[in-house]
Amino acid sequence: MRLLFLLATLLAGCATAPPQAPSPLPPAPVAGAAPAVPAVPAAPSAPSAPAANPAVERLMASARADQAASRLGSAEATIERALRIAPHDARLWQQLARIRLQQGQYAQAESLAARSNTWAGGDNALRAENWKLIAQARDARGDDAGARAAQRNAERYGR
Amino acid sequence: MARRRRFWPYLRAGLLTLALLAAGYTLYLDFRVRHEFEGRRFALPARIYAAPLELHVGLKVPEDDVVRELRELGYRPTARADGSGWYLRNGAELEIALRPFVFWDGPQPARRLRVAFEAGAVTALSDAQGGELALARLEPLPIGGIYPTNNEDRLLVRLSDVPKTLVKELIAVEDRNFYSHWGFDPRGIARAVLSLGSGHVQGGSTLTQQLVKNFFLSPERTIRRKLTELVMAVLLELHYSKQEILETYLNEIYLGQDRDRAIHGVGLAAQFYFDKPVGKLSLAESALLVGLVRGPAYYDPYRHPRRALKRRNLVLRETRDEGFISAAQYQAARATGLGLNPRPSTGTTPYPAFVDLVHRQLRHDYDEADLRSEGLRIFTTLDPRAQAAAEHALADRLAAFDRQGRFGKPGLEGAVVMADPQSGEVQALVGGRDPRYQGFNRALDAERQIGSLFKPAIYLTALEDPSRYTLATLLDDSKFVWQPPNSEPWRPENYDKQYHGQVPLYLALAHSYNVAAARLGTTLGLERVIATARKLGIGRELPSYPSTLLGAANLSPFEITQMYQTIASGGFRSPLHAIRDVTTMDGRPLKRYPLAVAQVFPPDPMYLLTAALQDVVREGTAQSLSNWLPPLGAAGKTGTTNEQRDAWFAGFSGGRVAVVWVGYDDNRPARLLGATAALPVWGEMMAALVPEPVAFPQPEDIEQVTIDPQSGLRADAACPGALALPFVKGSAPQERAPCAGNPVVDNVKGFFQRLLGQ
Repeated sequence: MRLLFLLATLLAGCATAPPQAPSPLPPAPVAGAAPAVPAVPAAPSAPSAPAANPAVERLMASARADQAASRLGSAEATIERALRIAPHDARLWQQLARIRLQQGQYAQAESLAARSNTWAGGDNALRAENWKLIAQARDARGDDAGARAAQRNAERYGR
Repeated sequence: MARRRRFWPYLRAGLLTLALLAAGYTLYLDFRVRHEFEGRRFALPARIYAAPLELHVGLKVPEDDVVRELRELGYRPTARADGSGWYLRNGAELEIALRPFVFWDGPQPARRLRVAFEAGAVTALSDAQGGELALARLEPLPIGGIYPTNNEDRLLVRLSDVPKTLVKELIAVEDRNFYSHWGFDPRGIARAVLSLGSGHVQGGSTLTQQLVKNFFLSPERTIRRKLTELVMAVLLELHYSKQEILETYLNEIYLGQDRDRAIHGVGLAAQFYFDKPVGKLSLAESALLVGLVRGPAYYDPYRHPRRALKRRNLVLRETRDEGFISAAQYQAARATGLGLNPRPSTGTTPYPAFVDLVHRQLRHDYDEADLRSEGLRIFTTLDPRAQAAAEHALADRLAAFDRQGRFGKPGLEGAVVMADPQSGEVQALVGGRDPRYQGFNRALDAERQIGSLFKPAIYLTALEDPSRYTLATLLDDSKFVWQPPNSEPWRPENYDKQYHGQVPLYLALAHSYNVAAARLGTTLGLERVIATARKLGIGRELPSYPSTLLGAANLSPFEITQMYQTIASGGFRSPLHAIRDVTTMDGRPLKRYPLAVAQVFPPDPMYLLTAALQDVVREGTAQSLSNWLPPLGAAGKTGTTNEQRDAWFAGFSGGRVAVVWVGYDDNRPARLLGATAALPVWGEMMAALVPEPVAFPQPEDIEQVTIDPQSGLRADAACPGALALPFVKGSAPQERAPCAGNPVVDNVKGFFQRLLGQ
């Protein structure tokens, strides 16, 4: 068990660029000489690192200012507005998770951080941050074991 | 003498009693007048708005769509040096003079915008001085209201906002002595009393009396009522100024009918007939409104333009005769046309099905009476472009069926629900073939068998256990009899009445094989599958019968949309909702409806299920979707119920999840398939909306492995029809298909994968 965990962390550590998985997944029929790893069509839109959209950047900054001033309702509305423009931006989901944590809505915070993880692509720092948020949310709900597991994930990605 | 003496006290007592009674009645009327006039506030309907269009660089929206929305907002296609509410098209650039608007997050002043388009997307956005803008929000489209019981609608105005000329016209025509009388005009009374015998009372009432009549009294016409009206009018004049009475009158007066909506007050009438604020009305326009006071139906300018024009000119003449306007003003105003707002009437709402949903969701948080009277502003999630696409696609397809002539009367019906999978915001809702008809809302209330739309719940339950089920696992599609204790045996059949032997799981779903699905569902356990459906968002209790596995349960299109929203978002359930924000009449925020997300399934099985649903479109029962859409990895499921009573399609592209139902209201067999009746509506509607590809990043624990679909085992280049399928790492079959070789390297790799997968 311990060995497996070690192995897993080792492998995760080695993977400087973890599988940058392509999105839409139509399983393609393999014609002729198939490579050992099946060819999956390239993603039409990369999930991580969305092209910098000035509208989204502006809204994020405005939400951050609101958060700093404890205007959480306004921050929340602003992030939702940004999400309508860029629903696949993992940073926005993470910011919303953080707002929910501040609001004491721990179940929401946890789900939103998980949502952020699905769009995180190869951004391990972002994933580590999401797992920290999940750990805090679980901790606040009194789920100690869950919080520890999340913290381990945070450390794994934080490396 | 003695007689006289005896009579006198009686007479005196009688007169005294009468006087006391009269005084008492007057006091009572006085109480009513003061109490009700002061306590009375106009009931203002809640106003409902669609989602505003947010312009930003990169937004995929054709210029024509933006122009259409501006037109629907009442913007004019001509520049005006001052003021706002217009747009100009210069080739691929659009100049917009935005009107000010109070949003839920504060007021937005009037501003000029320049928007450049290229290939159906916004490429530049700037203000009038050329300064770049990150974001610009158009005002949201008003889409209806929740009205007082008699559907009275009005926009309150202050007397100071009403043009002086309108007031002069009103006084010239309706009550020349308004500023001098004490609530009644003896000449008017005389006229009214004299005409009683002729059966119909001609006006002659003062403005004060008209107000009293509208405010306090029933419409019957008797002398007693006339006297009460007179007394109350005098009392009103005693207590209130002419200005207060006039202002109330201008807001109360009934001025027209827009289908089921009653137009009250000059504020709303100005908007309804001329699409302007009352302060901007011309002399001729205000004369038309004043002319309507006597009979909004009789002088309806849309139905009887000549009659209305004659009446308007009469108002202008009397105003001139009173010396309120000059002869030159009179001549100029007389020469103008009616200048009516050409906008077709919409009644209380053009989107009754969606407004119905909004109303139901509001009832959770507000009193019905408040909704109908407090003038709340409701900001919703409706996407007008999605709504238009859904309405057209459904109407077109049903019209095509009508033309085939084999569907009888009453014809086929249908419903559409569309939502944003990421947030659960409802973008469009169509409740039947006539989207303007305010009746049975099939999207919410038609409870129909769902057929194969239920199957994803079975397959998801299986895929949650990768040690036992993968997309390549062979399922048994041979004859199956289920014998529940104490009831009839259940013998599910396939649609083609054939059995297909051993079929890989993904293909069994793609071809919607009933027998394989029923066997799988009973193996997994009915309760487990029903629990999965509940987690996916089916709120109601599903019957614990095996037939539930094949969709025997009755559900509404809305409920199915919730289930597919959870699937489309990769396992994150967001309750479908139609409201974002509610504010008071003057813009103070009351309530937000925040984005809520609950992760109900982990990403891995959701990724596999999505791949299988994409296969339904790629090579299964929904293949014909390629007639409408390019390969975007759209995912979905067809559904057809017993005797083809219901045709369904539920599915999603990148930004939208939608469900379409087609069938008869009386539940008779429609002889239509999900793929031939519901799917085309779905395809046509999505094609009109520039769909995004399905984006579901591959989770870390998923790998792609090439499989031989015949055996469900590992394949290589030698295998014909080999296929790459996603697997949870370590769950892919290790054994090689007979067609494949057996290189040592892969075996070693497989060993490690097995090790890590455990």
